Parts: sequence; C-alpha cells; structure tokens
Amino acid sequence: MSIELWTLAIAVVTAATCGLCGSVLVAGRQAMVSEGLSHAVLPGLVIAFIAFRSFDSPWLIILAAASGLIMVVITRAIAETGLVDSDAGLGLVFAAMFSIGILLVNLNLKNTHFHADCIVDGNLALAALDRIEVPMVGRVPKSFLTMSVTLLIVLAFVMVAYKELKVMLFDPTHAARVGLRPVLLGYCWIALVSLTTVTAFEVAGSVLIVALMIAPAASAFLLTHRLSKYMTLSVVLAIIDSVLGFYLARTLDISPTGPIASMAGLVFLLVYALNPSRRDAVSNHRVPTAQQHPNHMLRCLSCEVISGTRTPQDAANQLCNRLGFDGSEATQMVQDLITCQWIDQSGASLGYSITPEGQQAIDQVLA
Amino acid sequence: MSVWDLLSDHTVRVVLLGCTMTGAVSGALGCFAYLRRQSLVGDVVSHSALLGIVLAFWIVYGVTGQGNRSLMVLMPGAFVAGLASLLLTRRIQRGTRLKEDAGLGVMLAIFFGTGMMILRYLQRASPPIPGRAGLDHYLFGMAGAMTRADLWMIAAVGSAVLIAMILTWSRLKIITFDQQYAAGLGLSVNGLEVLLLTLIVLGIVIGLQIVGVVLMISLLVAPAAAARQWTHSLGVMVWLAGFIGGVSGAIGGLVSAIGPSLPTGPIIVLNVTAIVALSMALAPKRGLVSKWRRRKVIHVD
Repeated sequence: MSIELWTLAIAVVTAATCGLCGSVLVAGRQAMVSEGLSHAVLPGLVIAFIAFRSFDSPWLIILAAASGLIMVVITRAIAETGLVDSDAGLGLVFAAMFSIGILLVNLNLKNTHFHADCIVDGNLALAALDRIEVPMVGRVPKSFLTMSVTLLIVLAFVMVAYKELKVMLFDPTHAARVGLRPVLLGYCWIALVSLTTVTAFEVAGSVLIVALMIAPAASAFLLTHRLSKYMTLSVVLAIIDSVLGFYLARTLDISPTGPIASMAGLVFLLVYALNPSRRDAVSNHRVPTAQQHPNHMLRCLSCEVISGTRTPQDAANQLCNRLGFDGSEATQMVQDLITCQWIDQSGASLGYSITPEGQQAIDQVLA
Repeated sequence: MSVWDLLSDHTVRVVLLGCTMTGAVSGALGCFAYLRRQSLVGDVVSHSALLGIVLAFWIVYGVTGQGNRSLMVLMPGAFVAGLASLLLTRRIQRGTRLKEDAGLGVMLAIFFGTGMMILRYLQRASPPIPGRAGLDHYLFGMAGAMTRADLWMIAAVGSAVLIAMILTWSRLKIITFDQQYAAGLGLSVNGLEVLLLTLIVLGIVIGLQIVGVVLMISLLVAPAAAARQWTHSLGVMVWLAGFIGGVSGAIGGLVSAIGPSLPTGPIIVLNVTAIVALSMALAPKRGLVSKWRRRKVIHVD
C-alpha cells in the first residue's frame, strides 16, 4: 500500500477508536474529561521519553496513561475538598500538567521531533513512514498496529460490558443497587480513554483527539435515541470526518489533523441544522416564553392577588393596595395577564380565576 | 546585570508592564467566570479565539498585502470568535438534548480545529506571508513579542473593561449570584447577561498574547480560585484576583524577557497554580491546614 493510503488508514482507525470512546463520554456528560486527558498525558509521555530516549518503549504508553489517570484522581480529590468548583479544578489541573510537559519539551528536547508543534497537531503525516515487518502482510506502520490493538481492546470492553455501561450511563443509582459498582466501571472506562488518548497522541495531537471524541458522538446523539445505534453512528461519523478531512488536507498540502477536526465540527453543524428531532426537543424541554419575561415573579404574584376579584377595576385596585402598584401599572398588568391567558373569567365563581397556564407558571416558580 | 539595569531596558519595561496589566485584568474578570461555574467555558472561548486571530491576520493581509500581528488587528478577531463560540454553545444547549459539556467540545472542533487548519495553511502558503512566523506564539504565549503599540491597546481595552465593571458593579453582582432575583427587580436579565459575557470574553482575549489560547483557562480561573479561599466578599475577591494575576503575569514576563526563549504561558500557569495550592492549604478557616488542626483539637478534647 502507498504511504498516502497508510496515512488514511491510520487516520480512520484512530477516528473509529476515538469515536467509540467519545460516545460513552458524551452520553455520560463527561465530554470535557477528554479535553483534560488530551492535555494531561503529555508530562508522562515526555518524562518517559527523556528517561528511555525512544518512542518504542512500552513505558511511554504506561507512564502517559498513568499521568492521565493521575489527573482524574487529583481532580476528584480537589472536588471532594469542596474548596474549588469542580470544573475549575479540572481546568487548573490539566493546564498545570500540560505546562510541565511543554516546559520539559522546551528545556530538554529542543531538537527531537517532539517539538511543541507536534504536541498540538500530532504527526499523522510522518506516522506512516515508521514501519515494521509483519509476517504475511508486509511492512505495516507501527502506529497503525498500536491503534488497531487499542481499537480491539476498547471494542472488546464495550461488547463484554455493554449492559453494565448502559445501566451506568442511564441510572447509576440503580447500577449501584444491583451491585454493578458504577464507580469502578467508570474508572475502568476512563483508564481505557486514557490509553486511547496516549496511543492517539503521537498520531493526532491534542486538538484532534478532543474533536474526534466529542463532535461525532454529539452529532450521533442528535440523530438517534438507541444506545447501540448511537455508538455505531458515532464511529461511522468519525470515520467519515477523518476521510473528508484527509482529502481536504491533501488539497491544502498541510498536516491532516486540523482539517479532520474542522470537518468533524462542520459535520456536527450540518446535523444540527438539519436535525429532525430538534423541534421536539424544543417543545418538550424549553420553558414557556412567559417565564422569560423580566417581571415573571411579579406576574405570578399578581395572578394570586387578582384571583377572585370580579371586575378589571377591582383587580387593579387589589394590585394597588396589596402590591403597591400605581394606577396605570396595575391596569397594564391586568391587561397583560389576560392577554397571555394566565387569568380569565371562565371559572364557576364569575370573577377572575387562574388558568391552567397561569398555574403552571406559578408552580414552576415554586418548584 | 543588576535589577535596575534590567528595569531600565526598554523591551523589559514594555513586557513587564504589559504582562502585569493583562494578568490583572484577566484575573479580576475571571472571578465572574469562576463564580458562575463557567471555567471550562473560558477554556473553550480561549481556544476558539485562535480562529478569530488567524482570520483577522489573513483578512488584513488580503486587504493591505502586509502581515500585521499587532493586537489592534488580532484582538477584535479573537473577541468576535470567542463570543461566537460562547453564543453557539448556549444555542445548542437550549435547542437540543445535548448538555453544555458536549456543546463545548464541539466548539473546540469547529473553532480550534479550523483555526489550526488555517494557521498551518498560512504558515505554508507560498509566497510566504511576511510576519506569519510569530502567529503560532498565540498557542503557548510569548510575552517577549509584545510591542509598544500592543501595550497601548492592552491599556485601552483593560481600562475600558475595568471602568465598565465598576460602573455596573451592583448589577453584575446580582446577575452573577441570583438571576431570578434580578428578574424580580425588573432588571433586564438578557442585557446584563450579554454585558457580563462580553466582559468575560474581553478578559480572556486580553491575556492571549502572554499565555496563549491553550493555557488561558489558568490565568482566567486560578487567580479567582486562589482569591476565593481568603474572602467571602466579591469586592475583595476581585481585587485580590487582579493582584495575583498581575504578579503572576509579571513573573512570567520577566522570565520571558531575560531567560532562555521559553513560552511564557506555562511559566505563568505553574506560578498561579502554585498560588492556588498554597491558598487551598493555608487560608484561614477554609484552608486544609486549618481544618486539619481543628480536627486534631477535637480529637484531643
């Protein structure tokens, strides 16, 4: 196979692995953990490289994956002290670890191909050149082999623990009750994501890993409600993104990582724009526009005060006496409430009563 | 070379002054992002700014035929891209089943991914664009590249932002802590929200030159997180965070001006992170050491 095809093959396998990992992260509302991991593996990788001076040592993968897990553990520990908001804790820890990595690279590894550019956008173009002999197949790029093995490990884990993952994602309390240990499973999953991040890091750099983990999964999330379909779709979209990005990069004659990330984003935007389920989502989850009115609380209160009064004049007087409105404000408020149908005179008592819509608005405030 | 010699050097003074100002402004405005639990939003906004930076550079090159890297050109681009990513995230979050974290991750792909693509394209374009070499300093920050014109831009934007903050102080306070109460008072929640987000984005954009888009979250959030340990008052917190940010910026700027050519961002980040760790440990009442000592006393009793 030509170098170009091998590069594409590496991109596709990396994309598939990231797409699969990302689908669980997005469904579990942990998308930004991948942003943290893709930065936090760097110090482990650099320290292992300085110690062993080789990209082939398995210690690179072990130390870097461990460094990712350390980030997760420190972040949890900080969150448990309650001193720093947990989002901020994640941000501080990964930025600090990444800084250590960057400084080490700048101080010790100036002239290796480990320079700062590769940290952000990887070395996909070079990855295909570093090949080893595989019996029966011929010379295969090493990154292709490591990524394929990673993909198989992640895939095997998903197949074996599919049910457990499903329960963990959608009902962690129930998972704990039936003895599934969601926390342990969660850590196992993060360890796998950390491993994927490390193996993909050399090839893809930190930009592409985050993009490929989140954007295809987020697009798939809009397209289906079934977990199995969602995970498959996420992988398929990731592969499509990588192929599109690869050819775009070839046209522009630049490193493929930026274009692949960009394509992943554009495909998401396309799905979002055409998304069939968006309209239901809006009508189901969006709060009624009345709630966004700046005087929402006051309107609810006015409903309560007005209910039971007989005439608009009577209602306005009540508002003036009990809520301190002046005359024109009170008349305006009564008009508003009638217009948005929070009160009407359809009740049995002849006077104004609160409509179901009005009651709903008031209940939302009380809840 | 004595400290005095160092301070009389023109470049060092520009860099030191610029870094102190940007650190102080970012640190102070970061308090609002921190208290609204929007730290990761800050991370994504700063990454997204890269797209604006390279596009602004590209457009100005296209119009004038000159590569211009001054903040006067790049900062508006960064601001627009940052704000766009923020608004798009909110739209996605409100209009779909996706949660905020997924929306933010997608913004990284769209804005940062495309930004990287254009950055690499501009770096390779032939004939070479004059001035393009320093563009990638925006990834990890390079305070040494600051010019006198940049200093004026930073001073102008920084003071405008701080004056806006002081003028709208009580409203910003209400909108930060209790939106429903603000609505109840009849304040325009949406208007104030946009004002607050604009200020936060400006606080991010101003710091990008010294810290870089990748690590900006630290300069934004760490001073606030450290200051929060020492006080319960928003006013004190903002002053303290501004001070911490300013000192960290100054240290980073000094190292960048005199030391080996290291990116400034990581140095500043390790600085502020150390201050956060110390604050978490040592702060009176809340701090870990004081909690540990109190526990010990109870144990002895």
